Amino acid sequence: MTNQAVDLTNCDREPIHIPGLIQPHGALLVLQEPDLTIIQVSSNTLESIGHPPQDLLGKPLSALLAPKQIATIRQCLSEDFEHVNPLDIAIKRAAKLLRFDGIVHRQKALIVLELEPKQKSQKADFFEFYQRVKGTITKIQKAPTLLEMSDSVVKEVRKVTGFDRVMVYQFDAEGAGRVIAEDRADALTPYLGLHYPPSDVPKQAMQLYTLNWLRLIPDSTYEPVALVPAHNPVDDRPTDLSLSVLRSVSPLHLEYLSNMGVGASMSISLIQDQKLWGLIACHHSTPRYVPYSVRTMCEFVGQVMSVELTNKEAHEDLDYKMTLKSLQGKFVESLSQSERFLDGLIQLDSNLLDLVSASGAAICAADHITCIGQTPPETELPALRDWVKTQIQHNQFETRSLSQLYPAAASFKAVASGVLALEISQFHQNYILWFRPEVVQTVNWGGNPNKPVEVTDSGERRLSPRKSFEKWQETLQGCSLPWKPCEIEIVTELRSLIVVVILKQADDLAKINLELERSNSELDSFAYIASHDLKEPLRGIHNYSNFLMEDYADVLDADGVAKLNTVVRLTQRMEDLINSLLHYSRLGRAELSCQPTNLAEVARQAIDTLKISQPQSSIEFRLPCPLPTIHCDRTQISELFTNLLTNAIKYNDKAEKWVEIGFTESDRMESGKGDPEDPLLYTFYVRDNGIGIPPQHLERVFQIFKRLHTQNQYGGGTGAGLTIVQKIVERHGGKVWVESTIGEGSTFYFTLAARGQA
Amino acid sequence: MSELSITTIEQPPLLLVIEDSNEDFEAFQRYVGRSPLTIPIYRCLDGDEALAFLYRTGRYADPQSAPRPGLILLDLNLPGTDGREVLRKIKQDETLKLIPVVVFTTSNNPKDIEACYRQGVNSYIVKPMDFNRLKRSIQILIDYWFDTTILPTDVVEPR
Repeated sequence: MTNQAVDLTNCDREPIHIPGLIQPHGALLVLQEPDLTIIQVSSNTLESIGHPPQDLLGKPLSALLAPKQIATIRQCLSEDFEHVNPLDIAIKRAAKLLRFDGIVHRQKALIVLELEPKQKSQKADFFEFYQRVKGTITKIQKAPTLLEMSDSVVKEVRKVTGFDRVMVYQFDAEGAGRVIAEDRADALTPYLGLHYPPSDVPKQAMQLYTLNWLRLIPDSTYEPVALVPAHNPVDDRPTDLSLSVLRSVSPLHLEYLSNMGVGASMSISLIQDQKLWGLIACHHSTPRYVPYSVRTMCEFVGQVMSVELTNKEAHEDLDYKMTLKSLQGKFVESLSQSERFLDGLIQLDSNLLDLVSASGAAICAADHITCIGQTPPETELPALRDWVKTQIQHNQFETRSLSQLYPAAASFKAVASGVLALEISQFHQNYILWFRPEVVQTVNWGGNPNKPVEVTDSGERRLSPRKSFEKWQETLQGCSLPWKPCEIEIVTELRSLIVVVILKQADDLAKINLELERSNSELDSFAYIASHDLKEPLRGIHNYSNFLMEDYADVLDADGVAKLNTVVRLTQRMEDLINSLLHYSRLGRAELSCQPTNLAEVARQAIDTLKISQPQSSIEFRLPCPLPTIHCDRTQISELFTNLLTNAIKYNDKAEKWVEIGFTESDRMESGKGDPEDPLLYTFYVRDNGIGIPPQHLERVFQIFKRLHTQNQYGGGTGAGLTIVQKIVERHGGKVWVESTIGEGSTFYFTLAARGQA
Repeated sequence: MSELSITTIEQPPLLLVIEDSNEDFEAFQRYVGRSPLTIPIYRCLDGDEALAFLYRTGRYADPQSAPRPGLILLDLNLPGTDGREVLRKIKQDETLKLIPVVVFTTSNNPKDIEACYRQGVNSYIVKPMDFNRLKRSIQILIDYWFDTTILPTDVVEPR
């Protein structure tokens, strides 16, 4: 075990918690209850405590220590070790009394007692500890930012420990570290700002660092001391030294330290949410021992700093966060005011970019993508969106180096190396993508992180810790500035807010639709009932005028009779208007009875009827191509043709009148996408050589009771014919419009789908 | 021979007119009056009164005050119980359903027309707006029901 070659290739698997070795600056005894029998010891006991291992093994601890000390150890075992270590231990050796810091802990069934010789001057008590640590803690708490706190900590720890160099080292998500604070002897090269690759602190070391708050290597050139026997007799396995303060470290780590020129090292864990956040790392160019009491103080500082990490991080970028919050507020306000939230987003324009400090954004809806600011070429966006969709987790995705994950992005890395994507609705395919440009960055590494491989003299390839810790610069391409956690958070929140807005809008829309439906049907029945009730008094006026003429014929003169006739004529006109209104309102309410209808036949019948009713006029009816058969309400469409043809003839002062009925087979419905399931759409027209309609009246001709001429011209009429045409076309899901040239004629167009409305 | 002449000179059966509009009723009366037949008319102003008359309830409890009509002329839009309901009641009543009902109304709504015939109405006439057509409609109505047709008066009366 002890001499098994460990290099960087198996470094992650090295069982560093059971090295079977300790550092030589103290002695370690493994004890078994109930008698505290010594079952395993470090082989340096003779040098350190004056008894060779063979004298100790198998003996009870009472053979070595006075009963009072054993009682202290037993009491310590029954309590929390943290509060009682170190124990004051004295061992007689010849005439001298050797004094130790005793550190005891339980490891499963075993008890581990470690003895570190006390320094001569050392005399720690609680009050001294309190005095020394109090100022440091106040500084930690008062520091406004993470960096200022780290600065105080490195200074304080260096003052207390006397190390050459004390650093705060922060891990990123990948496990790479960066020196964010440093206090050092003037002569040393600064490490501040340097990065270290994840391989510098292997996984199982990270694991141990969360169990142990502090590790000390007083002399990096030490010769490790083996435990005897190698396996403890209780379970015949190497004793687990995870919690041991003397545990020997990996030979690779020692090589690393020696390559770096470090003679002594101490590291204190910084832990946030049970995870290793970083380290307070202390280096000294020569060997340096730190007494247990000072280590305890440093550990305490590390714990206080750990607690404060969350506080300080929350205050990081506070102003920026406030700005984002206020932007987000504006955002939601604007969204809730626009009818479609996507329109609202687009209107936000640069605000949308400011929200996450992006330089471009793409708002993706099911069928189109809207770009704001600087974005990849529009032709690239659909594919990018489709790829991003596959990457989304918890409604979002972010990267600062898109081209590494999505090689097609290399061509537009200058504008979009960073992508932050928010999924608003998977169903509706609504996404927002934010883009950040490439920022060519220089990373300063503590040594070349890419070259742990070296070739030995024998030509063997070997991985070993790098020898050089000179600043090694790497230029990072295809990367943007990273998306800050607060930016990602604001985007996640934004989604919830958008969802609330959308739900509310859907709610409102449903309410409006219900209301509309109700008011439409009310309006229809209103028109119907009102028309009926209007008719009764009207009929009274009509009848009584006639009674007057009948009963008082001999009293009335010609003028009186003429006036009464006018009253009668007006009542008849009013009845026509009421009937039109009734008919119109009935059109709106009657259910369509749709069936395949041969329009050629319908048109012919309408023409025949017209010819019969106006036998005196000679009109040429032109049908350039046979009309198709479509799915529609025959009665209504027949009325439509009759109304249009009647108008065409009526508003015509030419000697040779003609009317042409035709159609064009236009694009597929609306979208024009050519979906074979879409019904064919026909555009029909009725063209005449009549008087035409002035352009300013083109829209008005469809208004109910809107007439362009007086009652006496063009045979009168109620002015409902085209309104009824429009209603019929709309009820069939089509559109109607008119083109006209004064004096030359008009063309009325209307669209009808071959298969009609569902 | 003498029996036959007795039958012919018998007074025409009662015409019950259910009509709320005084003007419409006056117009109707005016042209009925011009008929050579003398037709006894009784007018009810609304549906509730008509039902009381037909069922002989309320102020029509005395059968003398509510003789059986030979024909009912019914307006559809009436205050209170409307004409459609009156028609339904008449046509669901085993005795009353024998009396022919002619709907005489403003409504030309196809739904009303269909519903009335479904209930068993005997004729449906839309009140014409045109004075001359009104005159003609009423003449035809009287001629048809009181001259051409034989009404089931005898069947109803001895009840």
